[in-house]
Amino acid sequence: MRTGAARGQVGHFHEAGFYGSDIEFRALIVPFAEEGIAAGEPVIIGYDDRKNSLVHSWLSDPSAVTFLADKSLYATPARTITAYRRLFEFYVARGAGQIRITGELPHPGNGGRFEGWDRYEAAVNTVWEDFPVWGLCLYDTATAPAAVLDVAERTHPRIVSPLGKRRASGRYQDVSVFEGLPFAPDPLEETTPAIELAGCSGTEARHALTQIGRGRVPDATLDDLLIGLTAAVSNALLHGRPPATVRIWATPDRIVINVHDRGHGPADPLAGLVPASGSTAHLGLGLWLMHQLDIDVALKHADDGFTVRLRASPTVFLAMPWPRHREADGGGGPLACHTRAA
Amino acid sequence: MRVIGPVDSHRGFGPQDHSCWVHGDPRDYRPRLTEFFSEGLERGLRVAYLGSGNAEELREHLECFVDVGPPLTHEAIRIISFDEIYGAGEPVDPAEVIKKYAAATQEALTEGYRGLRISADVTDLVLAPEQQDAFARCEFLLERYSSRHPLSAMCEYRLELGDAVTQFACMHAAVPAGLTPFQVFACDDGAVGFLGEFDVACQSAFERALQRIQPAPDDSDLIFDMSAVRFMDHRALLALDSYAQKCQVPVFVRSMPPIVSRVARVLGLEHLGGARPGDL
Repeated sequence: MRTGAARGQVGHFHEAGFYGSDIEFRALIVPFAEEGIAAGEPVIIGYDDRKNSLVHSWLSDPSAVTFLADKSLYATPARTITAYRRLFEFYVARGAGQIRITGELPHPGNGGRFEGWDRYEAAVNTVWEDFPVWGLCLYDTATAPAAVLDVAERTHPRIVSPLGKRRASGRYQDVSVFEGLPFAPDPLEETTPAIELAGCSGTEARHALTQIGRGRVPDATLDDLLIGLTAAVSNALLHGRPPATVRIWATPDRIVINVHDRGHGPADPLAGLVPASGSTAHLGLGLWLMHQLDIDVALKHADDGFTVRLRASPTVFLAMPWPRHREADGGGGPLACHTRAA
Repeated sequence: MRVIGPVDSHRGFGPQDHSCWVHGDPRDYRPRLTEFFSEGLERGLRVAYLGSGNAEELREHLECFVDVGPPLTHEAIRIISFDEIYGAGEPVDPAEVIKKYAAATQEALTEGYRGLRISADVTDLVLAPEQQDAFARCEFLLERYSSRHPLSAMCEYRLELGDAVTQFACMHAAVPAGLTPFQVFACDDGAVGFLGEFDVACQSAFERALQRIQPAPDDSDLIFDMSAVRFMDHRALLALDSYAQKCQVPVFVRSMPPIVSRVARVLGLEHLGGARPGDL
């Protein structure tokens, strides 16, 4: 059974809160967490070390809460969705009537990049509908750029104030009509690519990338680029309009790849964030797969066609975001539940 | 040591090699056949030529076709009609065909040869689409048999088959470079090896090849060896997983390259690379 403001609700109860000080942050998060603790609900808190410490000191029984201190939790939108989904499956299997999660997405104000997280915030209104989740997304108005705050207002159906007042967001846009932030070109894309292959096969594209990429990025990163490139080229050949063109830019420690075709690209606003429904024919799985890798993936819809951009550089930290669990969980976690037996 | 992988020469095949070649003009087949047989005779192998028609016609054809030395040497070449091995008209029975090749190989050994070497242009046996599935299964069984017995084969197909030839070519340990993007071959220890690149370009061919791989009746499990795989995408891995779930014996994958393991891990297919209980 659900409690608090989400009582009687079905699916993901997605709420945003805005704070300008630690006092306001406390006013937003403590009631949310204490109410969950009192109800015996799983409460998951994922902020940076400083904020996690603050919350830890404010709660009556912090041991009843799961703190996710792993910075890689919010590595990429698609992986965060996958990681949380496994977490929710884990708790629901244990009988949770409601799961409370609260955290802060990366954006320039906290040292991260917001690219792609606009789609995430829109998508989670839909992709967690199967779970009794109350998601409270708190944004620091002192540090978050205006564009980020604008997205927050348009992607959360409900908004809560530090005074505890709740209202519907008048600017909320459903995921099907959500207007994401403009595609931000990489400066390298303004230059002449080192390699341009029109109408190439996956094998030719992989060969070209291997030739130019070896030694510029770690081997594991190059493997991820090769996997992503293969999926993008396959999609362009299967679903796009020819020609499929691969462009590769390379600096001593960075690789940027465009896979372009003249088609419209996927119409599904959730493309890449979750495996496509009815994926028995593997449709949509390639896009999802490339979004699970340790590389940056962006999709660009334009008048001249559809482009998948893959980027790798040593400055992008994208370790796997699997949350750790308390010893009380017996050492097993959502992953242990998910792993399929041989 | 068997020849495994793409090759650029038809020379130097050993007593257990199984190769596939394609020709548009019979004159291209002639020098290959001549050298394949000559090398076989030098190695002390019984050499057999297979084809359509009766033995007399075939021998006349062969004598015009190849030059393997003096007439006495010609007598050492056995002539086998397709009907004798493959039956007449109907899709072949792969198990029966292999039994006949096994018997012929054993006979050669019994008579003092070091093995049996065969070659044929088998195109006429697979022109009808309904004959192709059984024949491709036959090629797989021949591949497995030759990996463990002194039977070497040079299988010739004509260009007129078009893309259909890939389904046969991929079931040979040795093929000319560029003929097929991937190969299925038999390892010395009974495992089935994959070689090459597996992506959307050959997905349907790979799925078809998988359907034709069957464990032997006495196999307690089936091992796929991926040490020669350069790339395998998610579609191919999912096809392999589907095959494993349907197979009547447990399926294990060994020597999965890191890039393939990465894809398997993301897809939640880690179990494909699990160790066999006996290997622990």
